[in-house]
Amino acid sequence: MKARQGSGYREVAPARARRRRIVAPIAAALPIVGLGIGGALPAGASARPHAGGTINVGVIGPMTGPAAEIGTLMSAACASGIHVVNAAGGALGNKLSCDLIDDTGDPADAVPNVTRALATASNLKMTVGLESNTAATTIPLVNNAQIPMFSTNGLVAFDKTTDRYFWRTTPADNQNGAAFAVWAVKEGYKRAAMIFENNIGDQGNEPGVVQGIDHLGGKISINVTIPGDAASYSSVVERVIASHPQVLIAEADPQSAATFFSEYKQLNHGHVPPIVTGTDSLTPDYLSAMEKVLGKSYVTKDISLVGSHIDPGSVAYRAYKAALYASPTVKNPALVLGVGVISSIYDGIVVMSLAMDMAHSTTGSVYNADIEKVTSASPGAVVVHTYAQGLAALKRHKAIDYVGVEGQITFDKYHNSPGNFSASAFNADGSPRSLGVIAGSEVQKLLG
Amino acid sequence: MKLLIEAIGFGIATGAVIALGAVGFSVQFGISNVLNITYGSMMTLAAFVGYAFLQLNVNVWIVMAITSAVIGVASVVFNRILLEPLKRRGTSFVGIIIATVSAAIVLQYAIVVFVGATAHSFGEQSGRTLTVLDLVFTTSQVIIICTTVALMVGFHLLLTRTKIGRAMRATSTNRTVARACGIRTERIIDFTWLLSGAMCGAAGVALAITTVSFDFTLGSTFLIYMIAAAVLGGIGQPYGAMVGGLVVGIASQVAGAYWSPAYQDVIAFVILIIMLLVRPRGLFSAGAVTRRLANT
Repeated sequence: MKARQGSGYREVAPARARRRRIVAPIAAALPIVGLGIGGALPAGASARPHAGGTINVGVIGPMTGPAAEIGTLMSAACASGIHVVNAAGGALGNKLSCDLIDDTGDPADAVPNVTRALATASNLKMTVGLESNTAATTIPLVNNAQIPMFSTNGLVAFDKTTDRYFWRTTPADNQNGAAFAVWAVKEGYKRAAMIFENNIGDQGNEPGVVQGIDHLGGKISINVTIPGDAASYSSVVERVIASHPQVLIAEADPQSAATFFSEYKQLNHGHVPPIVTGTDSLTPDYLSAMEKVLGKSYVTKDISLVGSHIDPGSVAYRAYKAALYASPTVKNPALVLGVGVISSIYDGIVVMSLAMDMAHSTTGSVYNADIEKVTSASPGAVVVHTYAQGLAALKRHKAIDYVGVEGQITFDKYHNSPGNFSASAFNADGSPRSLGVIAGSEVQKLLG
Repeated sequence: MKLLIEAIGFGIATGAVIALGAVGFSVQFGISNVLNITYGSMMTLAAFVGYAFLQLNVNVWIVMAITSAVIGVASVVFNRILLEPLKRRGTSFVGIIIATVSAAIVLQYAIVVFVGATAHSFGEQSGRTLTVLDLVFTTSQVIIICTTVALMVGFHLLLTRTKIGRAMRATSTNRTVARACGIRTERIIDFTWLLSGAMCGAAGVALAITTVSFDFTLGSTFLIYMIAAAVLGGIGQPYGAMVGGLVVGIASQVAGAYWSPAYQDVIAFVILIIMLLVRPRGLFSAGAVTRRLANT
């Protein structure tokens, strides 16, 4: 690990990250040892750091491999979160530092990597990330270690989880899927083709799209699941074209999407219907791949990216934006700003830090109960939009209600707060521009 | 019926890309007796070398030719530096496979260090769409198919009709005896790695053109298909690798057209297993080919 003085940011150096991948088979033998250590001494039970120490924020995500861009986005959101907390003096006087934990995007590789990190990282008191591809294997590990986590995963299975340390301010994938359907119908398209890659994250959207389109009186012209990174999808593309869709609701990685839509364009005489996809595609990779295939005009006009809503006019958003631009490790803040799911990492770090302040403890098992308290719109609670505001109110012994980048947080008994949705489009420079908002209640209604 | 014909056309186009790599892999394995897993990472390297030349506004087909030469030389160097010393030390067949696996991982992540883990794109290089009797091809697919066929025929003629080809076969059969007969086996091995490496380079660029967007996993993703095609056709047999590639390509596209595309690869590999159960040594078995070659 390479420590960057001043920024409070720790980054996995590339060579180290590669070694993690290379030693995966050896590391696979370690979980038993790691679990033993974790069971004997959960991170939450370790000695409380003195004020002036450092608390590590575990960013659990794909830092290497095909999904590494998600890890980059997560790291940026973490950098912004610790920036605002550290600028206000830290959590209980302790500076925060991002500790990148590479789950490689692969559930099998994730287990030894996360187990090792939980067993060996010092003062690991909060975690963020834990996305869909690896959530099923990493969340139980973190929960067992009694470390509160703000997860960006979209798995429906976590809608009613009993994991005490799990918190989520983003919608489950089926809700995302239903939001895709709502947006497509709002745009006037009633006949949609569904194209989803066969991975856990993308497949999770499918039931919501089907249910949403059906409830809204639309029609699914064809529903295909495609393998990732194939040399050609021509046969599938022909079937999709033959179904005469008005809109393509699609989720796939940049390489697969580029191959698929390149062939679509070739086989459909240069015409590709509008695409509705998720905001997780709001990445330079996706933009670059699609732009070279479909052209800048198409990419900026005909691709809608639907995901968690963030309000650019809110105080919290402005603080988040300022923190992103002020963080020296964030290379493309404009891009990070548009991905709602990622902003939940920023909110999560602020919320967990405020919970530590309220609980007067950095121990996970202690401050976990205060996470709901600092986001509760209870009578008399002072509404705060930044960590500094929240800390000041807590010092005045006030109850607080943190309203973050994604708006009011209202956790249900399973620690989920899905919020609203919004649709965005690419600007020519790759930054997002807002197209509209979809009320969370509208989506919930579709799913019954 | 139209759907089937179209799927076969798409399969031929896909299979040609797989075959391009499979022919080189098969010949390399057949003659040098090394199951070179680094072949996949070499294809990835080729894609990135090609990408670098493409940034200089060089025509994509000239890029393919240049990259082939670069990867051909790189393959010779790789064999000289790593594999030949291992062989001289008496490393077992499996030991050498493990060495190539290790080298593949090292090369793959060396690429990441230099170009990052993000996706890159050759851009749209497919050219015009051509339709012949319901078979739909793009210009780039036609060029790749023709290149594959030409290289396959060239390889076959080289092996069967030339002095150096006979020397390659002799070296493949028994290097010690070949050397005793006056064949300069080191040069023959170098020549084999140069040619098969060039095929590998061409395959890497062809893959990058076909998939449009690619990252550092490109070669390793497709290596398994190329190994399957080579094994299906019979190791060391250029025609076999070509046919194997076409079987894999057509099976996957027909499966994608009629069943769930999610299982198109599964169906292709089920066919592979069934065919190997019927003909364990591949479609073009070594015995039959040896007899045929003996008569040339």
